[in-house]
Amino acid sequence: MKIIIAGDGNVGFYLAKLLEKEFKDIILIDTQKEKLDHVEKNLGIATVLGDSTSYKVLKEAGVENADLLIAVTSNESTNITTCLIGKKLGAKFTIARINNTEYLVDKSTLDLHTLGIDELISPESLAAREVKYILKSPELTEIFNLYNKDLYMMGLRLSDNTPVVNKTIAESAHLLSDNSFMIVAVDRNGETMIPTGKLRFKKNDLLYFVSTEEGKDKVLEYAGKKPVQIKNILVIGGSRTGKYIALRLSKYYNIKLIEKDFEKCNYLAKLIPNVQIVCGDGADVKLLEEEKIKNYDAVISVTGNSETNIFTCLMAKDLGVNKTIAMVENIGLFDYSQKMGIDTLINKKMAAANFIFRHILKGRVLAQLYGVDAEIQEFIVKKDSKISHKPIKELNFPENAIISGVIRNDRGYITLGDFELMADDKVFVFSLPQSYVNVISFFK
Amino acid sequence: MHMNLILYDKLDTFKIIFRQIGGLQIILGFTMAIPLLVSLIYCEFYSALGFVLSGLICLITGFLLYKRFKSSFEPLNRHALIIAAFGWLIIATMGAIPYIIIAYITPIEVAQQFGTNGANYISSLYYFKNPLHALFDSMSGFTTTGLTMAVHEPSIGRGLLFYRHFTQLLGGAGFIVLTLSLISQSSSRVSFLLYNAESTGERLKSTIIETVRVIWKVYLGLTFFLFVFLVVGTFILLPQYSFADNIFDSINHAMAGMSTGGFSTLDDSIAEYHSQGMEILYLVPMIIGALSLPFYVKVIYNKQYSQIWKDIQTRSLIILFVLGSIILSFMLLLSGLVSEPFRIGVFQFVSALSTTGWQTCDVHIWDSASISFIVIFGMVIGGAFGATVGGVKIIRVLVLLKALFWRINNYFSSDYSIKVVKFNNTRLLPEEMNKEISSAATLVFIYLIFLGLGTIIGYYTAEQGFTMKDALFESASAQGTVGLSCGITNPEMSYGLEITYIIQMWMGRLEIIPVLVLFRTILLGTKPKVV
Repeated sequence: MKIIIAGDGNVGFYLAKLLEKEFKDIILIDTQKEKLDHVEKNLGIATVLGDSTSYKVLKEAGVENADLLIAVTSNESTNITTCLIGKKLGAKFTIARINNTEYLVDKSTLDLHTLGIDELISPESLAAREVKYILKSPELTEIFNLYNKDLYMMGLRLSDNTPVVNKTIAESAHLLSDNSFMIVAVDRNGETMIPTGKLRFKKNDLLYFVSTEEGKDKVLEYAGKKPVQIKNILVIGGSRTGKYIALRLSKYYNIKLIEKDFEKCNYLAKLIPNVQIVCGDGADVKLLEEEKIKNYDAVISVTGNSETNIFTCLMAKDLGVNKTIAMVENIGLFDYSQKMGIDTLINKKMAAANFIFRHILKGRVLAQLYGVDAEIQEFIVKKDSKISHKPIKELNFPENAIISGVIRNDRGYITLGDFELMADDKVFVFSLPQSYVNVISFFK
Repeated sequence: MHMNLILYDKLDTFKIIFRQIGGLQIILGFTMAIPLLVSLIYCEFYSALGFVLSGLICLITGFLLYKRFKSSFEPLNRHALIIAAFGWLIIATMGAIPYIIIAYITPIEVAQQFGTNGANYISSLYYFKNPLHALFDSMSGFTTTGLTMAVHEPSIGRGLLFYRHFTQLLGGAGFIVLTLSLISQSSSRVSFLLYNAESTGERLKSTIIETVRVIWKVYLGLTFFLFVFLVVGTFILLPQYSFADNIFDSINHAMAGMSTGGFSTLDDSIAEYHSQGMEILYLVPMIIGALSLPFYVKVIYNKQYSQIWKDIQTRSLIILFVLGSIILSFMLLLSGLVSEPFRIGVFQFVSALSTTGWQTCDVHIWDSASISFIVIFGMVIGGAFGATVGGVKIIRVLVLLKALFWRINNYFSSDYSIKVVKFNNTRLLPEEMNKEISSAATLVFIYLIFLGLGTIIGYYTAEQGFTMKDALFESASAQGTVGLSCGITNPEMSYGLEITYIIQMWMGRLEIIPVLVLFRTILLGTKPKVV
């Protein structure tokens, strides 16, 4: 599979890095030589220097036999033009990054598909969507659906007063026998473990569950979390992500948004109904106190500066805010920020990458989780496979990987030890990097 | 580029303005062909001759002015208000010529035939031998006021009657913008400012000329609709009423209603029909005339039917029409001075708020409370901004009310928050809102000052028997271009008061500021004031 990525910004670089593991034939186009040098040195990916809207440049990148063309420069018009030209020159599938969500919402005015753009993505809008989901279940650190509304993947951090802390999984097995959820991974101090019966939970462990719709509440019960209702939200930063969050959520919550730039404040105030816009520096402690930060149920910090976001969230946490969400662009900071106590992190490029993996590639790699060095992959059980019609516990499944749910006849099932796989089952596997290869060969 | 750097002196300014005025006069001259035609239809040959002569005077003076100042510069933005104010004064003056000429040339035997049923009074036509009375009626016509010196309207002849109503139609949507849409030679920015000075300033189409044309189309379309409506309505309600008279009444009343002018072809205005049904029928033209023309464009052209309730002006007006009518009716009932308080209350309140001025009763006998109510909540507020109404326009009142609540609410929000206010479906930033407030407050304030001045002059110069409340009523009626009268306005009134009302009508139509700008230009010249 040949993939061309136009634009070596945050999103482009991250996509290249992720895709490079799976697909060998990747080409990155950008107009800045230093950036391309950096990519070649670090990732060993082939690059083409030039403007991606140029026929010559696209041809040089081999667009005529490209399977996928992803245009993710910071300029919307460039992305759209690149995709239009790329499609005409032979690219099979095109994706353009856009800022103007009109294109996403109003599909009747202009049919971009017939013009040659197969998919549109807006990283900021996707990040806002993640925030919306997480606010519905604020006790969790992360949630996304693996399959329709049947199977969910959820992350959850153990706190002091949880009954399962200092117990092994085997000891709490009576709570786990329900067929509606299962633990698939535990993250401790940045190290990811696939659970075994002997694993003993500790305070601050980050647990990953797969659960059905009914199982969602039971997961919370298992981890000793009480359901929390979010009503008042403080959003810090009025950049695009902040704007989309306010626009999407103003119907459901009371929102106050703090932004430094006066012109931007005016723009937002005029644009977004039912949201109070405050002009001020989100990193100014005095201002935050004056705006009564501790009265909010959730603080979402999405300024362009990751450090400010982390700091503000830490302060909010310290003042007793129930839920803190920080936008952190620098993936290197993930581990520490989570360890220091920020509840949820969001990241535009990961949101975009996840979207591309899950909805467009529909391939084996399904999702990347924040701060966890593991992936969820998807396989189909072949007919007459030796792994079918046997309980999972007798399968001798590779180490450091776990079968985490099955879709059968359009319904999601939790796969505990007694579950038997059948032909045509769609199987989700959660695995650590060292066992990717073993897992793939297991299903062959 | 250097054009803009030239600082025109007073003389240059007047050259520029005179050229524009010349253009206006030429158009006015041509429009006299229409009442000429009507005079011929009714075989009123002296009136016809009057229109021919007046038309020629307008055309020739206009042409001479235009030719003399043809070489002057194109008008600049700051000339717009002066052109509007001066233009209106000149149009009213030139428009008075037919009254004077016809009054002088029509022999008494002919004039005595005008009245419907062998009238036993001297034809009111002869009041117009006095040029001031002619100017009064002309100004009242073009500003869509409806106060008149013609005591017995039918006795001035059908040609002149039609002309009076026709001037209301022309003045209603703006004579200057009509001229602009017909002969557009000036740059579009100036056109826009003129449109702004005389009409709503709301841009409905991409260019100002297209906007003005669509406004006029809708305006004439609605007038035609009202004509048909009134003909059919009158025919159903008063089948025995002469059909020829029905047609003539309906054409004229449609023009007077749509423009919220309030002239009538009948001696006793709408009351002459002696029919409650007719009075209810005539509520329709007044209400239609009170709503803003851009609103109609949106509903009719752009099919935005939701505007009927979403547009804040239309909504508030409908509410105010209903509430005000009920309250006034009860106040009249309470006073016990009026025989049919509800019939009178509803009709008079609608007539006052829409600033039409059709009258069905003698206001002079009303008590002070009812007068104050109809003045404050009817005539001063007036209809919708962008309609043909007078008054301060309801939108100003709404802005100021909103401002009050905004100020109070702001007290509770944090110092740093952006205090957005939602007004008429748009979200306004504090800066924008303050601009709206300041312009609305300035206008309302200055409007009330002049209303007060007019009242005081009226109090001292009106004839015996009129009190403060009558002076207030008449002043509000003139300045709000309403046209209801408690009797102060009549051919025997003092010249000083007559001139006062002429000025009030002129100022009221143009929302005062342009007239003040003109005064400033005449008295102090065009040099900017440097302090």
